[in-house]
Amino acid sequence: MAEGPGLAELQRRFFELVTGPEGVARELAARGLPPEALAAIIAGDARASAVERLDVYANMYFFRILDVLRADYPKLVAVLGDGAFHDLATDYLQAHPSRHPSLRFVGAALPGFVAAHAAAARRPWLGELAALEWARVDVFDRADADVLGRDALAGLGPEEFADLRLVPVPACALVPAAFAVEDPWRAVEAGSSPEAPGRAGDGHAILVWRRGLVVHHRAVEGGERRALDLLLAGTTFGALCAALGEALGSDAAAAELAARCLGQWLADELLAGRLT
Amino acid sequence: MIDVPALGHGIGLRAEHYAAVLSNPPPVDWFEVISDNFMVPGGNPRRVLRAVRERWPVVLHGVSLSLGGTDPLDARYLDELAALAREVEPAIVSDHLCWGGHGGAYAHDLLPLPFTEEALAHVAERVLRVQDRLKRRILVENVSSYVAFTQSTMAEQEFLAALAERADCGLLLDVNNVFVSAHNHGFDARAFIDAIPIGRVGQFHLAGHSTLGALLLDTHDHPVRDEVWALYRQAVARFGAAPTLVEWDDKLPPLARVVEESLRAKAVAAEALAQGRPREAPAREGARG
Repeated sequence: MAEGPGLAELQRRFFELVTGPEGVARELAARGLPPEALAAIIAGDARASAVERLDVYANMYFFRILDVLRADYPKLVAVLGDGAFHDLATDYLQAHPSRHPSLRFVGAALPGFVAAHAAAARRPWLGELAALEWARVDVFDRADADVLGRDALAGLGPEEFADLRLVPVPACALVPAAFAVEDPWRAVEAGSSPEAPGRAGDGHAILVWRRGLVVHHRAVEGGERRALDLLLAGTTFGALCAALGEALGSDAAAAELAARCLGQWLADELLAGRLT
Repeated sequence: MIDVPALGHGIGLRAEHYAAVLSNPPPVDWFEVISDNFMVPGGNPRRVLRAVRERWPVVLHGVSLSLGGTDPLDARYLDELAALAREVEPAIVSDHLCWGGHGGAYAHDLLPLPFTEEALAHVAERVLRVQDRLKRRILVENVSSYVAFTQSTMAEQEFLAALAERADCGLLLDVNNVFVSAHNHGFDARAFIDAIPIGRVGQFHLAGHSTLGALLLDTHDHPVRDEVWALYRQAVARFGAAPTLVEWDDKLPPLARVVEESLRAKAVAAEALAQGRPREAPAREGARG
């Protein structure tokens, strides 16, 4: 076997140096090593020193992931600005190095991270805006499903209707939000300057789903929010009416709300599956 | 020897070109897709892949097998790749001679290996396990590199030749990567190609590169450079008409410009073949690499 560290040890050292936050020279210094220490494992020459060569990988590591985060969180970039987003990404990667072979998932933990980051100190709604953006990324390529259409419900008797199992399409998520972050999202989308959103009412959330190939979202609250929680937990139309009736204290009001929600969800193409 | 499908010349399927590809099918022979981008449950990527596959042969090119990594092979990734291959029935499945992470974390890069006996034994064993799982031979691609390890005991081309023999795999010869690494490390690109065994090369890659100081970077953001075309002529003369892909990923031009580059590759390959018959006959049509 050749002299030098074994393959696993070599990769450990290499990986630590190229994934540090401030470049290879700083990473070496942080370990009390002079740049010459790299000469033991990496050959430098007149074209470029060992540090410069390893820095190519360090820069590619950071900027490749930064590009993906920018693509996944364009509204967050617009709110923070390029410099602050760059700093956020630097901190994020130190706390959450990628744990999935696909870059598709590299930004999954950013909503929770930004909510607790200094960048959110004066904008307590940033985490929720990021959660909305991630939900849109996440439903984009979730599994396809047949959509439940109005035709399938025609002719159902009352008992069959009560037993109708309601199943959301897989490409669907509900993002709880104390702030109306759909407003700054819409502002950036329209090319306007985003303003701080106001506090939203109790039960405010944002429903994100894919209809066909296109991702949609809309704010929900009140009765529909309650109904969506039940839908996502798994329910039948009859159980939905009963649960809403308990919450509202009125079977008639519950039936009216359930029917209104069902109509909206059918129009949204939010329901999947077969009748059971 | 490996069987080389007579596919012709292809281009990469990129999201920016989806609409153009489907609305006005370009005159290319096949598409290469980055496997990782389509290992998702549904939505538009899978729809586009199905539509493309109905019309063209497709080859699967991965970036995350980490054949040289010392973390365990990712069983879930392999399962998903196997499932995608069952669905797509690709003419070729390939990945890179590299590693991609450590300690469960991923760099999302094609990191270089030392060319040692230890690394060779390690990679060969993993290639064999991947081929066993996928129930097919894969092609392993040489990568561009910016560092060379002092402990290497053999040249990259020796390593590749030995790997192909030990693992009984094919090689995807990225001609641009040969040129970039030759510049960065000061070796002879033509000698590199002459040392790759005939009968193991199942596909070529061509791409553009850029400069960073005294180094060249494999950025896939330019047309193919003249020096790389010259190496491609040499490669076709040596290995025959293996399927050839023009990679263009960054600063992506309109689809027609990428197709134009692919048609140029086809013309260059035809010239090279006309000037001198390759030492081995081109492979059988319909074979699987």
